Amino acid sequence: MIKKAHLTQWLDRVAQGYDLFGPVLDGVVQFERVNSSDQLVFDYANSVVPPKNLFLPQTECLFAFRREEGSIILEPRGGLERERVLFGIRPCDARSLLLLDEVFNSDLEDTYYQEKRRGTILIGLACPSPPQRTCFCTSLGIDPLSPEGVDVLLTDLGDRYLVEVTTEKGEELVGLSQELFFPSAEGEKLKGEKGKSLEEVGEKIGSLWEDGYWRELSRRCLGCGVCTYLCPTCHCFDLTDVGSTLSGKRFRCWDSCMFADFTRMAGGVNPRPTGKERVRQRYFDKFSYFPEQYGVLGCVGCGRCSQYCPMGIDIRTIINEVIARGAK
Amino acid sequence: MEQELREIVRKLLEEGAIEYFIGYAEGFEPLHTTPCFIERGEQVQALVWSPLCPYNLARYLHQMKNGAGKVGLVVKGCDARAIVELVKGNQIQRERVVVVGIPCQGQVDLAKLEDAFEGVEAVEGKGDTFLVTVGEKVHSVEKERLLREKCFSCRHPISFEYDFVLGEMSPLVYGSESEFAMVEELERLPVEERRAFWRAQFERCIRCYACRDICYACYCQECIFESKAPRWLEKTTTPLDNQTYHLIRAWHMVGRCIDCGECERVCPVGIPLRRLYKKVEKEVEQLFDYRAGMRVEDLPPLVTFAAEEPALSSRQDRSER
Amino acid sequence: MSSNIYLPHLATIIEIEAQTPDTTMLRVTLDDPTLAQSFTYRPGQFAELSIFGVGECPISIASTPTRKGFLEFCVRAVGQVTNALHELDVGSKIGVRGPYGNPFPLSELEGRNLLFIGGGIGLAPLRSLINYVLDNRDHYGEVELIYGARSPQDLAFKDELKLWDEQEGVTVYLTVDRGDERWRGPVGFVPSFLREIAPSPQEKVAFTCGPPIMIKLVMEALEEMGFPPDHMVTTLEMKMKCGVGKCGRCNIGSRYICRDGPVFTLEQLKALPGGLEL
Repeated sequence: MIKKAHLTQWLDRVAQGYDLFGPVLDGVVQFERVNSSDQLVFDYANSVVPPKNLFLPQTECLFAFRREEGSIILEPRGGLERERVLFGIRPCDARSLLLLDEVFNSDLEDTYYQEKRRGTILIGLACPSPPQRTCFCTSLGIDPLSPEGVDVLLTDLGDRYLVEVTTEKGEELVGLSQELFFPSAEGEKLKGEKGKSLEEVGEKIGSLWEDGYWRELSRRCLGCGVCTYLCPTCHCFDLTDVGSTLSGKRFRCWDSCMFADFTRMAGGVNPRPTGKERVRQRYFDKFSYFPEQYGVLGCVGCGRCSQYCPMGIDIRTIINEVIARGAK
Repeated sequence: MEQELREIVRKLLEEGAIEYFIGYAEGFEPLHTTPCFIERGEQVQALVWSPLCPYNLARYLHQMKNGAGKVGLVVKGCDARAIVELVKGNQIQRERVVVVGIPCQGQVDLAKLEDAFEGVEAVEGKGDTFLVTVGEKVHSVEKERLLREKCFSCRHPISFEYDFVLGEMSPLVYGSESEFAMVEELERLPVEERRAFWRAQFERCIRCYACRDICYACYCQECIFESKAPRWLEKTTTPLDNQTYHLIRAWHMVGRCIDCGECERVCPVGIPLRRLYKKVEKEVEQLFDYRAGMRVEDLPPLVTFAAEEPALSSRQDRSER
Repeated sequence: MSSNIYLPHLATIIEIEAQTPDTTMLRVTLDDPTLAQSFTYRPGQFAELSIFGVGECPISIASTPTRKGFLEFCVRAVGQVTNALHELDVGSKIGVRGPYGNPFPLSELEGRNLLFIGGGIGLAPLRSLINYVLDNRDHYGEVELIYGARSPQDLAFKDELKLWDEQEGVTVYLTVDRGDERWRGPVGFVPSFLREIAPSPQEKVAFTCGPPIMIKLVMEALEEMGFPPDHMVTTLEMKMKCGVGKCGRCNIGSRYICRDGPVFTLEQLKALPGGLEL
């Protein structure tokens, strides 16, 4: 346990030894680097941009290049100067990192992602009740009070937080201010409520490849990048060179399967020529392709896509529609 | 009004006057409606109307380019300006669009509503108030408290001929402040502070392009930001790239922005885009005495040339002094 | 320590050979001598070629691993990077990442007859396998190649086509969509030419690569001729970036063309949602 009044003391101690990231109000709530706990906000539902950007930055230099004496010098970038602590990650987003781990560690390891992942300790914050109107993690088997995927989980109990430490790295952090923590009375751990399970969407969607629903949906969809950029499990990226052939940098930038040019080839042929194919790709990926590859649905129910869709398209409505229309 | 709308649409569809109708339907929760496409008479029950219908449905007329038939849609007075501009820009033919005007008594700003109430089930406009239903209680709130910012400078096209109207299409009149007050406030700042203001805003941009994609005026076949040769802008989101994106877009809005405010509404990171475009609008109005979307006959200032541009020459004089 | 999968190896162009008006073959060697020795690949795989400052693009490896010391890439100028690759001279430096993707199922082919059907630059990945087979001649049966291009001057690897045809147990059939005054051979699209030749499916595996529409029609023709779907192999193309199944764009169903392809049998494609739509 830690008293609420002592939380900032602990975080300030943490900030001395680590690069501390946490929720700040920068126009909207975002996870950003802070020097002290005064910059943090504690009364927030979740960040607009998910914390994936700390591991897969929207714009990341992979290496610099320059032409020199008839050859080319490549200088890899990336890596962390100091170990980082991310405070305030929600359980849905923590789960999303476990999913991204599958993508970036399977087969060939992505060192850029992995170095940031290994070098970051996660302090989770269990979700307040009631959840946001767009939240539905419990329908996908995620517990909004679960310490899964974080090193330390704090659960708000009024004037104090219940502290669950799940890893050695978490112990280290708590050890920085051992004096602030005290043992908890038994039975204080809250139980998360389970929502109506929507997990059968994964079994149903496969039958709907030809269904008219995707066209219906795509008519409303503008093809912008909000749902994908704000999705904690979307990981598509582009590689792009900036500079000249004499010197420059190669960047990795977020990209979106909702954009028409995402799959358009150099000659102009596009295997996903209209919004219908692109919308279908997104939901098949979440509910069919991702589970086929990694054994788990590619959605964590954070609800950001529903909350921020410019046209009010709601992923739960889509899931329910798929369940209603699809056959096993 | 909803019932009247449904009957009009049912008739249009049953008579074969239109292929489909674009309107508002219930969304996933009371605070969100969503656009809908009605293709058959029996679907008209889905159509709704409330102060929670922000979408400028004229944006969906871009899809008409590929067809030949007629399309119907419901517009608020402000949205009709988009139709005027789409006609001017040869994007649609007026006779292919059946326009149902709906007298809007102001739209609710969701953020303001959520700050004021929890668990809202419905909002309805009534005179100078919004009636907000929460559980069994109905709160009567002065409109000014909940209105979208853009509704304070509500202005309709002067000569728009609706095919149907569901009442009197008259602009809302609210507030005494100049509609350019927020621009002027920024203009009074020293240039460094202005630059710092916008830099901080643009730095947050995630370049999801929602502001572009929702814009009725962004109908270029190939957007400059997607051009591969030459590549004007990479996907990198450095402060400079983001600023480039927003400034290029602002230039492209010259004489075209109708202040529907949709760009600002959809921005997930809260960039005050309306201020940017309001600045563009102000310059155009002062230089050319022109406002987009008012009359189909008005020629856009950037496609016309007058040997004597009074406003421009007086500017030149000033700069030479 | 794991290696950086996005960092290309430097390579030098040692030979450039124009193949058709828009297609050029680049022969490159990897600059790091150890790597040049240890770099292994199999027919069907591809590499990501970089021109630093312009970008990267996936190109199938047209050479065969049986001939060591260099890599060959057949590049058609269609986009930014491929156009820039055409501007290069001998001695120019490029970046190479790879090899990526799955190869043709070499071990399953032993003792079988092989039918290759190529269109335009689609011959490049097949060439890798053809030369591999010819360099291990005893292990494989009859080889037939049906190859077409838009016009006679668009036929790639003209010298090699002759060489192959002269070999024992190899037959080369050529066709063009439109002839010219000097063309004496057949005129017609590859799929209909294939139906005219009507090769027997007996103990035979068919490989096809070319424009998507050609692949589709060839597959249909082969199926009608009695080739079983697991004996029809193609290599697919889609926009790719990372080459390693992470950037998320080149999937058909749950399979990434860069990681799980580019080589697929018709049987595999049939099992994927939209697998036959490419």
